[in-house]
Amino acid sequence: MKTIKLKIDGIETEAEDRTTVLTIAQKLGIKIPTLCHHPLLEPYGVCRICTVEVRLGKRIRMVTACNYPATNGVEVLTNSPRVRRDRKMILEWMMARCGHVKVIEDLAAEYGIIEPRFGRGDDDCILCGLCVRVCSDVVGANVLGFFNRGATREVSTAYGETSEKCIACGACAYVCPTGAIRIENDAALVRQELPLGPLTPIYVPFLQAVPHQPVIDRESCIHFKTGECKVCDKVCEVKAVDHTLEDTIENIDVGAVILATGFKQFDPAAISEYGSGIYPNVLTGLEFEKMNSASGPTGGQIMLKDGEIPKSVGIIHCVGSRDERNNKYCSRVCCMYALKFAHLIKEKTGANVYNFYIDMRCFGKGYEEFYHRLLEEDVRFIRGRAAEITNYPLNEQEAGKLIIRVEDTLIGEVRRVPVDMVILATGLEPVADAAEIARTFNISCGNGFFTERHPKLAPVSTATDGIFIAGTCQGPKDIPDTVAQAGAAASAVQSLISRGEIEVEAATSAVDPERCSGCRICNTLCPLSAISFDEEKKVTVINDVLCKGCGTCAAACPSSAILARHFTDEQLFSEIEGVLYDVRA
Amino acid sequence: MAFRTHVLVCAGTGCVSGNSYATATALENEIFKKGLAQEVQVIRTGCQGFCAEGPIVIVQPDGVFYCGVMAKDAPFVVEEHLVKGRHVKKLMYTPPEEKSPIPALKEIPFFAKQKLVVLRNRGAIDPEKIDDYIAADGYTAIEKALFHMTPDQIISEIKRSGLRGRGGGGFPAGVKWETCRHAAQHRGVEPVVVCNADEGDPGAFMDRSIIESDPHSVIEGMIIGARAIGCKEGFIYIRREYPIARERLLKALEQARDYGLLGTDILGSGMDFDIEIVQGAGAFVCGESTALMASLEGNAGEPRAKYIHTVEYGYKNRPTNLNNVETWANVPLIIHRGAHWFSSMGTGNVAENPWNGSSGTKVFSMVGKINNTGLIEVPMGITLREIIFDIGGGIPSGRQFKAVQTGGPSGGCLPESHLDMPVDFDSLTEAGSMMGSGGMIVMDDQTCMVDIARYFIAFLTEESCGKCTPCREGLRTSLEILDRITQGEGQPSDVDLLQEISEIMQDCCLCALGTSAPNPVLSTLRYFKEEYDAHINNRQCPGGVCKELIEYIIDPEKCDGCHACVRGCAVAAIMGEVKKTHALDKAKCVKCGACIEACKREAIRKIPRSYAA
Amino acid sequence: MARLSIDDLKKIREDAKRTLTLRSGEARAKVIVHMGTCGISAGAREVMGALLKAIEDRKVTDVIVTTSGCAGLCSREPMATVEIAGQAPVKYADLKPETMVRVLQDHIIGGKIVTDYALASGCETTG
Repeated sequence: MKTIKLKIDGIETEAEDRTTVLTIAQKLGIKIPTLCHHPLLEPYGVCRICTVEVRLGKRIRMVTACNYPATNGVEVLTNSPRVRRDRKMILEWMMARCGHVKVIEDLAAEYGIIEPRFGRGDDDCILCGLCVRVCSDVVGANVLGFFNRGATREVSTAYGETSEKCIACGACAYVCPTGAIRIENDAALVRQELPLGPLTPIYVPFLQAVPHQPVIDRESCIHFKTGECKVCDKVCEVKAVDHTLEDTIENIDVGAVILATGFKQFDPAAISEYGSGIYPNVLTGLEFEKMNSASGPTGGQIMLKDGEIPKSVGIIHCVGSRDERNNKYCSRVCCMYALKFAHLIKEKTGANVYNFYIDMRCFGKGYEEFYHRLLEEDVRFIRGRAAEITNYPLNEQEAGKLIIRVEDTLIGEVRRVPVDMVILATGLEPVADAAEIARTFNISCGNGFFTERHPKLAPVSTATDGIFIAGTCQGPKDIPDTVAQAGAAASAVQSLISRGEIEVEAATSAVDPERCSGCRICNTLCPLSAISFDEEKKVTVINDVLCKGCGTCAAACPSSAILARHFTDEQLFSEIEGVLYDVRA
Repeated sequence: MAFRTHVLVCAGTGCVSGNSYATATALENEIFKKGLAQEVQVIRTGCQGFCAEGPIVIVQPDGVFYCGVMAKDAPFVVEEHLVKGRHVKKLMYTPPEEKSPIPALKEIPFFAKQKLVVLRNRGAIDPEKIDDYIAADGYTAIEKALFHMTPDQIISEIKRSGLRGRGGGGFPAGVKWETCRHAAQHRGVEPVVVCNADEGDPGAFMDRSIIESDPHSVIEGMIIGARAIGCKEGFIYIRREYPIARERLLKALEQARDYGLLGTDILGSGMDFDIEIVQGAGAFVCGESTALMASLEGNAGEPRAKYIHTVEYGYKNRPTNLNNVETWANVPLIIHRGAHWFSSMGTGNVAENPWNGSSGTKVFSMVGKINNTGLIEVPMGITLREIIFDIGGGIPSGRQFKAVQTGGPSGGCLPESHLDMPVDFDSLTEAGSMMGSGGMIVMDDQTCMVDIARYFIAFLTEESCGKCTPCREGLRTSLEILDRITQGEGQPSDVDLLQEISEIMQDCCLCALGTSAPNPVLSTLRYFKEEYDAHINNRQCPGGVCKELIEYIIDPEKCDGCHACVRGCAVAAIMGEVKKTHALDKAKCVKCGACIEACKREAIRKIPRSYAA
Repeated sequence: MARLSIDDLKKIREDAKRTLTLRSGEARAKVIVHMGTCGISAGAREVMGALLKAIEDRKVTDVIVTTSGCAGLCSREPMATVEIAGQAPVKYADLKPETMVRVLQDHIIGGKIVTDYALASGCETTG
């Protein structure tokens, strides 16, 4: 490609032949206003606000910077008196149509327009066509188009009706510089800001994800809906985006496995009297956590559904925990995260915070001190399990509020506490497929949480050698405990690896192939899947490494072909005889 | 070197069919034989108008008129007249004994001042018969172009002829063809030729008439263009409002295909080419090249903002050569009769550089306040006065000429002081108007120039596609201002504001239609500023047109109470008994003018409105 | 129709020229009715219809009726050109069906130009 020389506002520069003036100016840091331009779309050149003066020899032309290809020797003036005069008039024209649009008003102020000569119109749309083009050129939905011509031109869907082709991607609203497009039905949005889902179709699963790479959510990605878009592809400088990739299942041979499958948040819909999912301002712990996150949908702002800042917040403890109807166990973390929430709400909004608790369980290091600090911060604690959340007011103070009905067991009275927002300190539950995982790994699973080999002596090991557990899959616990357990599990694995060999059980079972009839009764009985069938020899064989010598197979074998080493019948009888020696005598 | 004698041999269609070319060649040979080649020049001229007696030969400066001169007569004529100086009586025209009761066409200025090139076959051949066209020397040029000329030679011939685009821009056709051919070769993409028959200017019907009277000339021109540029595909983009023209084109295409003049292996030359007709939906903006391409592709007809021409990236991003109907219709004649013949008509010396002048003829549709409305073809360089007063027959009802609007709605209005200006591309542009596609609207002294500007701006506001801000909003705001001026509510600052709006539209609009749209305002501001001032400062309309600024009165001196006006008035604003002076109720009057039409005694007049009451 | 070669084209040209200039002697007169959009909207179809009917009624056989495009003077449509062999063509303007019939009777059959409607004689200047 040819390199050309040109001058912009007196600055001599070089560029590739036919690069647009706008691109060159932007590289030099020269500001040219644009309205209908978007880097992802072909230059459109209709708003004309990027008009600049171009001199080539004696010829002077006014051109639009966004699509004018620079050629050798041109001189561009981006802020000459003529440019300013033309832009000023264009802005006045835009104001005659859209007199109250911020982006236009800001530009107008920049160009010294105090009151436009053609008056101020009430429209919002400056007809820049970004929405139409993004819908057709990027999204490929072709839902939006221009209708009528001249002064009556407008952007609309076909016949002004809701189009079936609209996938509610929201791209049009996103690119609109004036905010003229609003999405009516938020729930239908593709890029829905779910409380727990990703903000965009492309996201890094979580901040600490390894590998730290973004993934595409097939469900909400526009490309997988229309076959177009691929904006990510265009903006990725290293061309790392590949929409053709498919999910693959990989087999990895390992010598040990640590299970850290985590927990599931208790679904408060099960407690219908709390109105979760009915009242928009009743949030679960995780929902609040997301809202409170600086990278969340509100940017860390605590707000009600209507965008207002809450003046009072109630936090209900033990939701789904210590509950006869749901989980009887204590989830161990809710008290402390509820206290954290209370503290943050106080700090960020200054709202009144009420905690409704059964017992405060602040057992960890520094926890109790934190509780006391909150007491001093004027967070209210009401002892009693909340009975109901309602929006039905009984008096004026309660109007428009959520009312928490609770028996205050300290004063022995039923109270109604009106608040703007309720946070349910939801408990921890085993993941839904915990039992399946347990089966896969041959470990046992109590009430959904995996069972450790020994509660005191082997808290991270399981009954199966080489399978370890860590974190909340073993039982509710907070982060320090989880980290400690994870460290322990990791070192347990590490010690196996560093030894380079494993000790196997000495007391295993063995099959006498002479006696084995090949009935395979034992095959399915082995809890450790250590028994297989040799199709060639038609006899059962036992894997010595896997066998733990439990003897189940030996006891079950109808042909007495399985011998439990060190626990043979003879040895057992001798032992019994020895035990009964005195009795016999 | 000067020749002492010129022998003019008619080479009009009529005489050529009487074999005048053979006569001319024979005369030339004979002159050479007699050693007169340095003294006598034989010139093949256009039609002398006396086709019935052809071939016609005129010897100048003697002014002797011979008719029916065949090749065999050449030796005798040369011997007798040119050598011996005796007139050849037997070949001289004898007028019929009885004088014709009606004037000859040549005596009628409307016909006399015209020069028919593009319209040569109008009124002469049946447009629905290809044989008629062939008989009128049609499809002779493609023989030359297909078998005896290389594409480069064709392009060079068109360039040397100085043919400039008749659609409005006046871009040299040969240069465009060359660019298109090069772009196609350079990129290895097959180019396309397109004929723009989307004539949208109000009052313009040149292209419609050409297609209706001689569709094959357009087709032949396109075949030659396709051969020069290297196209296999051609389109004629015609507006839906021209059903007859379209029908005739369809028939003509069918006939040409039957004769093998379109399709594969045209006339055995190995060239493939066919033409498809595409109908436009009647949007003015679709006459603009990029909008036309968009419409051709099936998209909304809107111009695109690109500083790359359609000749390089046009229809489906292929190099596209777009010329209008009249341009294409000129092509066969240029190839047939040579660039020199064409460039001898018109202004400037275009042989070296087609930008140097305006060669050939131009078809105009002449409408408005003029006696002979119609379609005319005149050589470039003719004056506006000749067109309007000689050909057009002047202004009807003894009114005064005020202005002529050329170039369609985005052209300009030229005043009387410009009547002696030659009509060519560059003079018109310089005067603030343009050639456009050739619409010409004549206005008399009862025209309000502010109202005219308002009318054209209103038309353009309707027709603006609305894509770019300056055109959409600039026209709308201009119209608002013009509306209030014509309603007597203009502000003193309005003239400057109009001027500023217009200048910025010229700077900033996206397509040529937008940048030329303020022309009606600019040209009327330039030549008729006093009318704006009268409207704004005195609340008066000098043309007596703007309804808000005039009122009707009945002159009691003249009114004889005939009651004709009462019957003519649709709103019953005139009262009065028969035979007594009538009275007009100003409150009811809607100023429609029906009473003025009805009054036989010119008793009803428009006067400036009095604001005292 | 078979595809043409250059020679075929020339032959058609020669043949067609004869009919176009009325030299074959087959017809004595030719009437060209100008049928552009302007002519048609001014009533050229009716004029031509009347002419064809009149020719049929009078059993005239040596007159050819043909159509052509606009003659340029749109304000005077409907127009027709009458060409009689050996005479300069005459253009008639502002025709009506009944005047067209009169032109046929007086001029084409009777040989006397109808001066009331005749515009001019001769043909236009072509380049």
